[in-house]
Amino acid sequence: MDSLGAASNLDFTKLSERDKQELQQFVVQESQKAALQSNIHKTTDMCFKKCVTSKISSAQLDRYEAPCMEQCVERFMDANKVVFKELDRMRALQ
Amino acid sequence: MDSSDPKTAVMRQIQQEAAVTNARSLVEKLNDHCFERCVPKPSTSLSKNEETCMSQCIEKYMAAWNAVSKVYVGRLQRDQAAGNSGFV
Repeated sequence: MDSLGAASNLDFTKLSERDKQELQQFVVQESQKAALQSNIHKTTDMCFKKCVTSKISSAQLDRYEAPCMEQCVERFMDANKVVFKELDRMRALQ
Repeated sequence: MDSSDPKTAVMRQIQQEAAVTNARSLVEKLNDHCFERCVPKPSTSLSKNEETCMSQCIEKYMAAWNAVSKVYVGRLQRDQAAGNSGFV
């Protein structure tokens, strides 16, 4: 009857120090991955809105949409950088 | 075998939950975008055209998502290799 579902049913007292460390590292890695995936979703959402503006009449990205999506990602990250640089500059002035 | 090892069990569960969350986000965006684009004026049923639009839109959005993943990760790697300094 005891299916392994919930992690709360597990006995963590048996974990060795090494296991604990490994687990911690794993959690850090997985949260970084999750953050990346979330960013990719947000960026796709934003760039799709900007780049796929004409009537949807094919299942592929057309020759305008495909480069637009790529440029959208690159420019968004450039813009991101500008924001950080600017914040840095403002902080230095204080 | 499986769950006698709590470490492996936790890792597996975390990965499963991450995959579910990721899939759910994608489905949510597909619904949002494609409904918005393909069904501007909801009527008594989905028309053939709206259905075709939905399926094309879904595939297109997935293509866009794949493109963004590739470019995004590539850019992160390039920035990292360049030492993260804000210089272009």
